[in-house]
Amino acid sequence: MAFLSFLFRRLGLSLFVFVGVLILTFIVSRVIPSNPAALYAGARPRPEQVQEIEKKLGLDKPLSEQFRVYVGDLLVGNLGESYHSRRSINTDLRLFLPATLELVIAAVLIALVLGIPTGVLAGAYPRSPFDYATRFAAVAGVSAPSFWLALIAQFIFFSQLGWLPLGGRVSRDATLFYPIAAQTGFYLIDAAVSGNWKAWLDALHHLILPALVLSAYPVGITIRMTQASMLEVLSETYITAARAAGLSRGVILFKLALKNAIMPALTVVGLSFAYSITGAFLVETIFSWPGVGKYVTEAVLNVDFPVIIAVTLVVTLVYILVNLLIDLMQALLDPRVRLV
Amino acid sequence: MTLLKVENLHVQFTTPFGIVRALRGIDFELDKGDIMGLVGETGCGKSVTGRSIMRLLDENAEVTEGRIIFNKTDLLRLSEREMHAIRGDRIAMIFQDPATALNPLFTIGGQINDVLRAHSPAPAAQRRKATLELLASVGLPDPAQMMDVYPHQLSGGQQQRAMIALSLAAEPEVIIADEPTTALDVTIQAQILDLLRTLQRERAISVILITHDLGIVAETCQKVAVLYAGRVVEQGAVAAIFAGPQHPYSRGLLAALPRPGSRGTDLKVIPGNVPSGLERIDGCAFAPRCEFVMERCHRLQPPLFSLAAEHQAACLLHEDRVHG
Ligand SMILES: Nc1ncnc2c1ncn2[C@@H]1O[C@H](COP(=O)(O)OP(=O)(O)O)[C@@H](O)[C@H]1O
Ligand code: SF4
Ligand SMILES: [Mg+2]
Repeated sequence: MAFLSFLFRRLGLSLFVFVGVLILTFIVSRVIPSNPAALYAGARPRPEQVQEIEKKLGLDKPLSEQFRVYVGDLLVGNLGESYHSRRSINTDLRLFLPATLELVIAAVLIALVLGIPTGVLAGAYPRSPFDYATRFAAVAGVSAPSFWLALIAQFIFFSQLGWLPLGGRVSRDATLFYPIAAQTGFYLIDAAVSGNWKAWLDALHHLILPALVLSAYPVGITIRMTQASMLEVLSETYITAARAAGLSRGVILFKLALKNAIMPALTVVGLSFAYSITGAFLVETIFSWPGVGKYVTEAVLNVDFPVIIAVTLVVTLVYILVNLLIDLMQALLDPRVRLV
Repeated sequence: MTLLKVENLHVQFTTPFGIVRALRGIDFELDKGDIMGLVGETGCGKSVTGRSIMRLLDENAEVTEGRIIFNKTDLLRLSEREMHAIRGDRIAMIFQDPATALNPLFTIGGQINDVLRAHSPAPAAQRRKATLELLASVGLPDPAQMMDVYPHQLSGGQQQRAMIALSLAAEPEVIIADEPTTALDVTIQAQILDLLRTLQRERAISVILITHDLGIVAETCQKVAVLYAGRVVEQGAVAAIFAGPQHPYSRGLLAALPRPGSRGTDLKVIPGNVPSGLERIDGCAFAPRCEFVMERCHRLQPPLFSLAAEHQAACLLHEDRVHG
């Protein structure tokens, strides 16, 4: 019961934040561009042209009416049309968003699977060679520029070893001979659902390098966060009590201590997930990955407001969902949180 | 019969300020089925003694001398693996603040279940039954409900009862209780001490009761060892020591006890400070505060002199009586 009311309060808060961002993006989109219609019309438009476009975009109506239309469109899921390419943003995002999400989710999973056990052991054996080695690796992972890592990874695994492809989501062969029937847009899921295992393997091959490169930062930060909070938790009396009760080291570290120590790591991984939706554009560019990062970067260069705003809203939504998820996880892990 | 014997135990800590000599030769014996008090002011080495027995000292600690004989084996010579088999199973521990000694993120039932699972291969249903019995045996109301409760939902007294249930899970022979009532209200204190006495009687468990409160010793213990600056200065039967303390320090402590009928102004507190573990002490550690101090007290470290069958004191005033 306490949990349900906690859930509803958090949902209410999220809604509040989303409405706030909605209003803000509207204001920004109508105030900053001195003349949106001129932007839409392209280079050196005639005045009649601009007027016509203003009418078409509804810019001649009062602001309140414009806001109503803007929210109404969003409510039915219509994100509008790119000023630049005149394509529907919905269609574009249906293509780019799953690609990015697949990449970023893979990177985050790598971060959790690799970073948490490593951090636990580093925290359990402070000042050991393992601790020092992981500290070094973590700092390297956090501070190495992603484009540099990407180029090195391509050099080793593509040029030298020839184990993994250079870029793209699938190979030409896959597209031609065993294409993936798009449903969710997540190739690994779509291929698996249709039993297209050849394409599944091909998609996995393409995913490995960019996901690994993108995971360097979250892996590093997960290790550091987990290590630091383990160190703190392991000095608590309840850990001494668990040792005095004869519990095994494995149970103490990976059950009793980890449950107390995991939240900071989950929080930063969640935030780096949301950040990577747009922040992965360098990696996406180098690996020719058709993702949101690339898409929005182009939109920014073209001052393509509808696209920028649509992506902003999507990223906001992702941030809100991730925060909600983090809060829920915290409430599930810690019974005391449900009370606040 | 002696169950646990601590002999000449020396423990020191390496700190940024130098070496802290926390224990400088602790000697005492715990008889089977007894509750034995370890009493002394804060910082005299009670907790370090308890943790030395469990071999759970902090990383900067080192046992430099001594033996801890339990059932004819020296615990200090066991491998970590052998010692692991003793913890919880044969010697268990409870702590000063049950709110921090219980894991906040696991239910009481879950925490006890973990201990049961670590020590026996019994199936889950049997463990559940055992947990319910344990919770009932420490006097917690509604054990079935207690199973799914988190520590923060309990009162301090209930938390300590749960902690005691947890320590009993693997049926240990010895329980080391490190100030188990210090964090609790006075009335709750009495109930927890009652519980310890009941367990000792009914389960023949031997208890080392660490406390800084002589009143608790008088009510609860059969024997007592008085610690001062990392050494035992007097030990023996509680009745004998309370009737006639033979070490000036214990005499001072007893005089400082509020007695029925005494007014606040009658309380005598021993003047001076406890020496820090950083200082080198050659003679009697109590010499700077002792009203009977003699010249040789500064040179000779007094050993425990036997004064009666169950009474020893480490004071040079008794040197002649013993040897003469
Ligand atoms: N980890 C540690 N590092 C340095 N000194 C310690 C450590 N633990 C205990 N000590 C010292 O050992 C002495 C005895 O401490 P303790 O056994 O906790 O006293 P108490 O009798 O109050 O339980 C104190 O002087 C304390 O400062
Ligand atoms: S040995 Fe000396 S200084 Fe120490 S307690 Fe006895 S009389 Fe006092
Ligand atoms: Mg203590």
